[in-house]
Amino acid sequence: MRTRRMLAQALRGLNRNRLRSFFMATGIAVGITVLTVVLSAGMGARERIMDRVRVFGFENMMVWAGGPTDQTRIGGGAGGGGGGEGSEITATLKLEDAEAILGEVRGVREVAPFSRAGQTEVRWRDRTFTSPTFGVTPEWADVWDWYVERGTFISHEDNQLLARTAAIGPTVVRELFGAEDPMGQTILVGGVPFEVTAIMEAKGTSAGGGDMDNRVFVPLSTYMRRVANVDYLSGIRVQVQNVRYMEPAAADIAALLRERHNLAPGMPDDFRIRTPTEVTAMVEEMQGTFNLFLIVVATIALLVGGVVVANIMLISVSERRGEIGLRKAVGARSRHIRAQFLAESVAVTFLGGIGGILLGLIGNVILERFTATPALLTWHVLAAGIVFASVVGLAAGLHPARKAAAMPPVDALRS
Amino acid sequence: MEQPLIQTRELSRVYQKDGTVGVAALTGVSVVIRRGEFVALVGASGSGKSTLMNLLGCLDRPTSGSVVLDGQEVSRLDEDELAEVRSRKVGFVFQSFNLLPRTSALENVELPLLYTDRPDLAGPARAALEVVGFPADRFDHHPGELSGGQQQRVAIARALVNDPEILFADEPTGNLDSTASDEIMALFTELNRQGRTVVVVTHDAEVARHAHRVLTMQDGRIVSDTAAVAAEPGPPAEEVVS
Ligand SMILES: Nc1ncnc2c1ncn2[C@@H]1O[C@H](COP(=O)(O)OP(=O)(O)OP(=O)(O)O)[C@@H](O)[C@H]1O
Ligand SMILES: [Mg+2]
Repeated sequence: MRTRRMLAQALRGLNRNRLRSFFMATGIAVGITVLTVVLSAGMGARERIMDRVRVFGFENMMVWAGGPTDQTRIGGGAGGGGGGEGSEITATLKLEDAEAILGEVRGVREVAPFSRAGQTEVRWRDRTFTSPTFGVTPEWADVWDWYVERGTFISHEDNQLLARTAAIGPTVVRELFGAEDPMGQTILVGGVPFEVTAIMEAKGTSAGGGDMDNRVFVPLSTYMRRVANVDYLSGIRVQVQNVRYMEPAAADIAALLRERHNLAPGMPDDFRIRTPTEVTAMVEEMQGTFNLFLIVVATIALLVGGVVVANIMLISVSERRGEIGLRKAVGARSRHIRAQFLAESVAVTFLGGIGGILLGLIGNVILERFTATPALLTWHVLAAGIVFASVVGLAAGLHPARKAAAMPPVDALRS
Repeated sequence: MEQPLIQTRELSRVYQKDGTVGVAALTGVSVVIRRGEFVALVGASGSGKSTLMNLLGCLDRPTSGSVVLDGQEVSRLDEDELAEVRSRKVGFVFQSFNLLPRTSALENVELPLLYTDRPDLAGPARAALEVVGFPADRFDHHPGELSGGQQQRVAIARALVNDPEILFADEPTGNLDSTASDEIMALFTELNRQGRTVVVVTHDAEVARHAHRVLTMQDGRIVSDTAAVAAEPGPPAEEVVS
């Protein structure tokens, strides 16, 4: 018998027993709904964490001024909210340290030293706004992958000349200038006048929820001498040539800084180094937990859906003895009967799977509304739902189909 | 001499109940059915009529003895081989019609064709429905929308659609009133007149009258076999196909 005819027979069989088919499809749909929601939510959460990792950059580490605290924020600093990165009163991290790291540590490609203040008053004419302000060197742009939209970013020359140039983010532009053109205008940053020479590209919201477009960048030297009046850095972002250098470079930097800061053995570090390795480890651990959870959910869904389908199929087989006997009497072989019931079982779970995915989509919308968890629906989720449902259908239909096929026609007809 | 369509030798069938003592439903039946015959199988309830019919029709296997159908020894074939023989050579009609519910008359007749490699389903099914005089405007009707007589016509068309050598009917009029019953028996008579071998199992002497030969069964044996009982001629063919 041809596949198309067989499928048509299966669909007719399901149609003749609509209520039963509906119950079977529902049994599977519930399982697939749960699976879809869990998968989407899981993938959404994973994607969000991966975003954070991406912002941090796999080839970048952060060297923060200040000793080890319970600091665990990922990709903080310029990417994060701009404040709360532990004690910055520690005045031991110097520009020379950054130069030494670049010059002496193997595998380091670039360093971007910076000094910053979380909340600085920025003024233009009679308007004021509060922004995180960063003193930076030109390397900042490449290391953070963060470029200007218009104008020129802070240059080496700016740093040498203690120039009063500022690159401001789109939020600052909007708040201070409205519709007016900020280029060439003079703003006061912490009371010190700067000329706006660049507007940064929009970066949107950081992984930590901060507005990355609310930033003022000025030359590091100007910031340290004229605005903050300090001679130390807040941190140094270090980029390695290859992720393979990450761990050795971090160890070398730690040793170098301890030596440069004259820290005797036994004394705690006066700096902290954050590498993406910790982040990656965290993501992997989360992935493992999630996979385990998924296996548990999938197994439960499989059991529930499969047991429902298998039971109803068994009932169906015994109620349809007459039909089975008749089909055999008119020439059906065992394999035809087996194929028919298997096809019915797979077809009903396939349809149930589609129903479950649709319900899962609704579930995602509801979940997003109430929990702010972004659900990520990819074709993987859809494919998993369909395949999963069909496999359950196949497994659940196996025994009933075999039972139907084994019925002697005379017995089947007698009932 | 022409080879008989069916020949059995010392056919026995014991139904095993829960693996204990068996019920001997059929004991040592030897019978020959020639092509073109119209045979009635009569006898008391439980005498073994259906059991014999199932063995002759390759629906069941004997406990011992042999059945040769159309020159082929079928008593030792396995289930699937028997199904294949049924598909090609045997048509069955049952007392309770056994039509698939919520399925059109046409599709019910198409059913046996599903298990053959014939590409066209609807063509032969329509032809068979026409042969049994089923009204063309009812082809799409479901069994629930048909009278008993009409349902049995659909069932007969289904039995004919594979063009079998022999037609078996187990109490085909058992669920019909006398008018419908007469019509169905007239249809069998006409089919037989066209050359089809027909075996009808019945309680009803009136029904058995249509046959040319009556086999009477008792306690699993054939106790009388008479081709001498002259059949009354059935109604003319025109009436049947109307
Ligand atoms: N599958 C079975 N299992 C056990 N016993 C059976 C089975 N089929 C028939 N029998 C028994 O075998 C005997 C013959 O049954 P069979 O159905 O052939 O009789 P029958 O002549 O067709 O009767 P009826 O006119 O009532 O249909 C009966 O005693 C019956 O109970
Ligand atoms: Mg009987």
